[in-house]
Amino acid sequence: MTAFLEVENLEQRFDVSGGPLDRLRFENGLPTMARRIVHAVNGVSFTIQRGEVLGLVGESGCGKSTVAKTIARIYRPTGGAIRIDGEDISQHDYRRMLPVRRKLQMIFQDPFASLNPRQRVRNIIMEPMLQHAEPGDKTVEKRALELLDRVGLRPEHGDRYPHQFSGGQRQRIGIARALSVNPQLVIADEPVSALDVSIQAQILNLMMDLRDEFGLSYLFITHDLSVVRHISDRIGVMYLGFMVETAPRDALFDAPQHPYTRALLSAAPAIDPDPDAEEEIELTGEVPNAFDLPSGCCFRTRCPFAFERCAQERPVLKEAASGHQVACHLLDEDSR
Amino acid sequence: MSAAGQPLLDVRGLETRFYTFAGVVNAVDGVSFTVGRGEILGLVGESGGGKSVIGFSILGLIDSPGKVDGGEILFDGDDLAGKSESELQRIRGREIAMVFQDPMTSLNPLQTIGQQMDEMLRLHSDLDGRARRARCIEMLNDVGISEAERRLKNYPHQFSGGMRQRVVIAIAMIAGPRLIIADEPTTALDVTIQSQILKLMRRQVRERDASMILITHDLAVVSQMADQIVVLYCGRVVEQGPKEALIRKPAHPYTQGLLGSIPKLHGRQARLTQIPGAVPDVRNLPKGCNFRERCPFAQARCAEEEPQQRALGAGRSVACHFPLEEGTEA
Repeated sequence: MTAFLEVENLEQRFDVSGGPLDRLRFENGLPTMARRIVHAVNGVSFTIQRGEVLGLVGESGCGKSTVAKTIARIYRPTGGAIRIDGEDISQHDYRRMLPVRRKLQMIFQDPFASLNPRQRVRNIIMEPMLQHAEPGDKTVEKRALELLDRVGLRPEHGDRYPHQFSGGQRQRIGIARALSVNPQLVIADEPVSALDVSIQAQILNLMMDLRDEFGLSYLFITHDLSVVRHISDRIGVMYLGFMVETAPRDALFDAPQHPYTRALLSAAPAIDPDPDAEEEIELTGEVPNAFDLPSGCCFRTRCPFAFERCAQERPVLKEAASGHQVACHLLDEDSR
Repeated sequence: MSAAGQPLLDVRGLETRFYTFAGVVNAVDGVSFTVGRGEILGLVGESGGGKSVIGFSILGLIDSPGKVDGGEILFDGDDLAGKSESELQRIRGREIAMVFQDPMTSLNPLQTIGQQMDEMLRLHSDLDGRARRARCIEMLNDVGISEAERRLKNYPHQFSGGMRQRVVIAIAMIAGPRLIIADEPTTALDVTIQSQILKLMRRQVRERDASMILITHDLAVVSQMADQIVVLYCGRVVEQGPKEALIRKPAHPYTQGLLGSIPKLHGRQARLTQIPGAVPDVRNLPKGCNFRERCPFAQARCAEEEPQQRALGAGRSVACHFPLEEGTEA
């Protein structure tokens, strides 16, 4: 059986050169028209099975949100393929995307910006359904009210406006809207980052319940390692637009392979510090900018183990253990 | 007077209110705690808990329509609440310094960081220009900024977020304050940068034998940094005590709920224990215990009578009629 979502060599670049005057540069006295390209996502591949939760983690600027938005086709990718149920949607236009959007919905980070302030909650939830429903379909409204109930709100809440709700309640509305068309995959971009801890737990529990109830798959984007461990079946770690490691949840946390993953895990503050944690890898310096990527491995400028080969050759994801893939030259060295 | 054994900061019954058109907000409602010399105190709570307002109240930074309405803020035995603005200006920066959340807005974008560091020394020391410059360079090296001499001439926008927060810490530390109030200092930063900054702050505080109040919503950060923890809910202290005991065996149901809400990084639980409902409207708090509507253990008495702080022994206290038994694991 093929995976529900297959992403292959996804590449997303943004041209931020601006107008001709912004681009004009002088090199050795000669005018040139320089381009400034942000290399946001550089050849990322992964799959999501039906009913699976894939967590994507990484620090700001690593391209995780861009991956989410590109798969939801808010952006058109500059390269690679996005296959949903075997259908490549990477170059679909708006009209051809419409039927695809019934299978694929998105939940956003900021519950204050992602709901139309001038629409009643009922209409917000009905909107995606109306795209697909027959005119005059009465079941749409009924379903909206059922969904409200399912996400823990009351039917009378349907008549209110978004500003009358707290952050956690708004996120529930966003979830109800995403579920309205019975999607198979929900892309959640930092859905709990803007919420207080106690509310965050409510939303995470709700998302887990809904997944079991509707058999959903999630692509769950977050920077919070404890959240990603809680919710994911499999986890991908991104750095500077590259996927550096993907592994089943426990394998990633118990036996991280890539130096970046190890540093990230040891840097995360935990309420339950691991008594037998290995020695901490402390990173120095900061993430290089995405305008010009380092040669070879994206992480070598901060990696305590970098050696010559890392500057010359870009490591590709290789199977280190069953289902555990790592992009690092150290693995070859070890096995030599 | 600075008798040994006396705490550096002793906040007693602090009340800060905001008189808004929509009603009076009791942002801080009778909060008491002490910060010992060389101690790191963590103030935790969710949004609306009043933790930032406490920090601002200590420094006299509450603007109209807000007002510090009651209580004492004893800094080294001296009440800050009754001080005039000019007296406070001598204390801010020299005795008590503040590190804010957003390093983007807490630095002046029109001045080089050298000018901003120098300003602190001009106001709070008698050093001459050359000595001040040497001190600035030394301080930048201390917070891990290389090529300090050149960097002094840079403007804030030429630094990354983590570097900017290092600069803010350098400015806060340069006049040798005895107390640093850090308000969500790493919330805007990435995990690996956060860990660098937290380590830096702890080292700086310990080396200088200063004290720190760390204000944050992140219990994990507090559990790594603090010696003592104060948990706030709706402007009141619900529980306080030494870090290990409080994290391991919370006595207040809110603390327990907060700890249960955080997914564990090691080991795994099937489901998070969640606190039902949401924080009540601070303008319209319930009678009795503020937490009772969300509390799984609430009883009739909780609705009638406001719980007072009571000691649990071993430096702990809790404001709850029915504190959790010793040995209740979070």
